[in-house]
Amino acid sequence: MATHSIRKTDKGSLARFLGWFSIGLGTAQVAAPRALCRLVGAEGDGTSRKVMRLMGARELTQGVGILARPRPTGWLWSRVGGDALDLGLLAATAVRNPDRRLRAALAIANVAAVTAPDIAESLRLSRQQGEPNDGKRIRKAVTIKKDRTDVEAAWLGAADLRRKIEDAKASVRFAKAPGDRGTELAVEYTDAPLGGDLGRTTVKLIGRDLATQLSDDLRRFKQQVETGEIVRSDSTPAGHLLSNHLKQRPAQPLEEATR
Amino acid sequence: MKATCWMGRNSVEVEDVPDPKILNDRDAIVRITSTAICGSDLHLYDGYIPTMKRGDILGHEFMGEVVEKGKAVENLEVGDRVVVPFPISCGNCWACEHELYSLCENSNPNARLAEKMFGYPTAGIFGYSHLTGGFAGGQAEYARVPFADVGPIKIENGVSDESVLFLSDVFPTGYMGAEMCDISGGEVIAIWGAGPVGQFAAASAKLLGAERVILIDRFDYRLEIARKNTGVETLNYEEVDSVPEALKELTGGRGPDACIDAVGMEAHHHGALYAYDRVKQAARMESERAFALREAIMSCRNGGIVSIVGVYGGLVDKFPIGAVMNRGLTIRTGQCHVHRYLKPLLERIQNGEIDPSFIVTHQLRLSDAPRGYELFKHKQDDCLKVVLKP
Repeated sequence: MATHSIRKTDKGSLARFLGWFSIGLGTAQVAAPRALCRLVGAEGDGTSRKVMRLMGARELTQGVGILARPRPTGWLWSRVGGDALDLGLLAATAVRNPDRRLRAALAIANVAAVTAPDIAESLRLSRQQGEPNDGKRIRKAVTIKKDRTDVEAAWLGAADLRRKIEDAKASVRFAKAPGDRGTELAVEYTDAPLGGDLGRTTVKLIGRDLATQLSDDLRRFKQQVETGEIVRSDSTPAGHLLSNHLKQRPAQPLEEATR
Repeated sequence: MKATCWMGRNSVEVEDVPDPKILNDRDAIVRITSTAICGSDLHLYDGYIPTMKRGDILGHEFMGEVVEKGKAVENLEVGDRVVVPFPISCGNCWACEHELYSLCENSNPNARLAEKMFGYPTAGIFGYSHLTGGFAGGQAEYARVPFADVGPIKIENGVSDESVLFLSDVFPTGYMGAEMCDISGGEVIAIWGAGPVGQFAAASAKLLGAERVILIDRFDYRLEIARKNTGVETLNYEEVDSVPEALKELTGGRGPDACIDAVGMEAHHHGALYAYDRVKQAARMESERAFALREAIMSCRNGGIVSIVGVYGGLVDKFPIGAVMNRGLTIRTGQCHVHRYLKPLLERIQNGEIDPSFIVTHQLRLSDAPRGYELFKHKQDDCLKVVLKP
């Protein structure tokens, strides 16, 4: 089973990194504002804690915006604005707490270090033109040790799998494998889930993404065509599904086996 | 039924579990008459193979009587006496058609997991973690055998269980280790590990025509079994400063033509490198203590063959790739393609060329399996092979 994915998105890995960075930092600011205040040299009292939480909420919003949008130019520029605001607040903190200036200086250096990539990625995205593109081409291929006519006939019989493929607007290609190795079956589709990268990560984490489902489906299709049955072990009596992987039972016979 | 279950690191228990049932048309149910504890079961027992679950039934060396079969199994009848190979193979995929049975493309339902670990998946194996499929094993009263029309070999009456049981794994594994050495007559073969696989690798190297076979271990009782039954030379590595130097001297400065690693991931030795491996393995920073493999590579003659049949599971440190590349060594390895060897090795047993029962040192009831594991692990009571009788 081969899975090959080609990113065709406007936003690069830097924008995605900055999006996840925002979510990570924002979560820490909202969840532990007092610790963060002390880290940057502030007092951690009522007002500074509230400001820290507010800035955290801002980071979270920006992170979600960057990850969810196909071309998040505005969201990236909002990070640049946020950096300027952070630098101003940190400078004020340094002035107000002269005995903890070193901490504030370190925090300023860190913000400055992330400002540079923020500006670079914002400028790069500002130059993108035309319709935004968030698609990811995914190709899956499997070789089945049967003649093409047999594989195509079996494919016609696999109604559920074909319906899933049609719903995903995927294309299917059959080709003779070299060296009398049977038939190559390749499925290709564009993966553009709701919520962009955030949505993609969420469905993948819960094992509901199409790429994972197709891996299971094509492997089972190969088993069915080549051996005449779906392989079932004691820990996976219904055949393997990645989404159930962590819930596998011990390798013991079932109390009541179903055929 | 009663079955030997893995309950955690260094813990197995004989539990009451449900009887197996036919799940697919190509399945058979076998009532087990003899089953053995394999050296590779100790890797599970010691907790070095990932993806084990509490309650997993162990055992991949077993034989017995067919008591039920699916409607697509035409080559076996209820009542047939069979030995079951440890890899589960469909017989239909490209790998099976090319006799690469342990690489069956269809028999591992957890293929995706194995794919992440190894790059491509491998065949399902009875009772050997969820990485190899999560199949219940054969240290039990009964076992479900998938693809029973491909794997099990029928055994006529008149030959004892102990003489044919090891066709399930250790005899073919040792034989494949020797076969991979391209023996054509006149070679010197060195073998690390005088456990059951090493014993059969030594015996097989002799059968295939090697002129000298040198078996290396630290337990004299194991070396004695080999000398007595196979007539090979032996080397106790605890009695020499350097195994590679000893082998060099024993071969007139040339080195063995081929070296077989029948030890695998839990090698023992002494000295700083061994301590380093123990610490790294205990901290799970490497999965293998590959001392024997390193020695095999460093000992092999220029242009020779290193054959690996000892089990490895993941990543190894301090691997002498420079010696392999610059001295033109060939590495051959693999889980045994048992099905390939069943008939020819059964013929050798029937012809009286070898009686594999010479490795059996302990016969226990199935209910004594926990004691069997301890005896085998700690090499107590001169233990070489434990056979369990359900």
